[in-house]
Amino acid sequence: MNWHLVLSPDNIRRLLIGDYPVALGGVALTLVLSLLGMVLATLLGLLIGYLRFAGTRPLRWLAAGYVEVLRNIPLLVLVFWAYFAPPYFGYEPSKFVSVLVALTLFNAAYIAEVVRSGLLSVSVGQAEAARALGLSPFQQALYIMLPIAGFNTVPAMTGRYITLLKGTSLAFLIGLSEVTEIGRQINNRLLIAPVEVYATLLAIYFCLNRSISAGMRLLEDRRRFNRLFCRFAR
Amino acid sequence: MGGNLDWSVLLGEAGHLLAKGAVVTLELSAVSLVLALVLGFLVGVARWSSIGPLKPFCWLYVEFLRNTPPLVQILFWYFSATVILPNSVLLALRHYGFPFAAAAFALGLYHSGFIAEIVRGGLNAIPRGQYEAAEAIGFSLPQTVWSILLPQLLRLIAPTLVSEAVSLIKNTSLALAIGVTEITYEARYIDYSAFRGVEALAAITVFYLVLCLAIATLGHLLQRWLSRNRRRLA
Repeated sequence: MNWHLVLSPDNIRRLLIGDYPVALGGVALTLVLSLLGMVLATLLGLLIGYLRFAGTRPLRWLAAGYVEVLRNIPLLVLVFWAYFAPPYFGYEPSKFVSVLVALTLFNAAYIAEVVRSGLLSVSVGQAEAARALGLSPFQQALYIMLPIAGFNTVPAMTGRYITLLKGTSLAFLIGLSEVTEIGRQINNRLLIAPVEVYATLLAIYFCLNRSISAGMRLLEDRRRFNRLFCRFAR
Repeated sequence: MGGNLDWSVLLGEAGHLLAKGAVVTLELSAVSLVLALVLGFLVGVARWSSIGPLKPFCWLYVEFLRNTPPLVQILFWYFSATVILPNSVLLALRHYGFPFAAAAFALGLYHSGFIAEIVRGGLNAIPRGQYEAAEAIGFSLPQTVWSILLPQLLRLIAPTLVSEAVSLIKNTSLALAIGVTEITYEARYIDYSAFRGVEALAAITVFYLVLCLAIATLGHLLQRWLSRNRRRLA
């Protein structure tokens, strides 16, 4: 085995932060991509999910169409659209932005479905009570429906976030130097230790995803969830 | 601007390439789906049955496969196979196209992790009373499995299995990373060889969309067929 070649101090540094002072890469870039993707996809997913649940009829159809189309094409095709199509229309996108846009649009479709199922799980009584109190539709969504639905969907969201993090690995196919690309470079330089290099990558992703699961499990405590996301409720 | 789009290229050489790629995509999907179903059912049943020594192994199998990116798994098996497998097997595989075999194996394995969890969930959802009743009226084990267990299990898990199949089809696009000439690979080729990237991407988007929606519709029909006796039996 050639573990000492793969896990040399220099390689470890590159896997973690890439060529940092020059360009951020490696695990750090994977994390930045994932976290930004999670925030943006969740916001867009909340919007689309809510529209599909409570919008006017044309908005509902639009939201449903978005979900059906985006869920039935591969993320890779979306990444290629975001990176290789704009130059034909005279715009040169950055790799980072392309991947981020593709990740956001793709995962928002899934998160929208999670959000919608969460909204459907809010009991009729709660929704009626919100209306009876005379809250505006916006207030109903913000203070009653989304907090309840949000808490109910924490386990399903964990799955979506893990998928999102796994999806960041596609960035290497357009040459963004996140951790998979760094691993590929190390493998190309060494040539004699593919098992070790890719096993290291698998282990890194495994740890990252288990961390997401562990972090999300903390949110399955209702008091903690409310403290973090429902400050206005107090 | 995009005024110079020429859709007629899809009727010529480019269309021919895409059609060849589509066949490879379908072949890859079919082979990996069979592998995923076989392995997934085996591991799912093993996880459900409480056979002590199998438990940690099955847990690791499922958790590791589900928490690492399919793309990295494909790269791992592709680059590691030459080290892991004996030469005779490698020579035999070369006959079938080594990248194809590696991608089919990796995708089959990846999705078997998900299918195992689906199967376990389905088996857990069948009430104990069903087996006890089968035993009480003197059913043999094969009879119990065939006429009690399987019909209920399939009815329960068919929708999730179908969405897993759709997810598998979408993930076959990742095989381009190791040079499998499936449809996304051909679209990339058309982009950098003929500068018809937008037309090619649009074509494969429609291809995936139609294919995945068709599978989803078939799954819906299958679900109705599996539930045909439900009311009568209940």
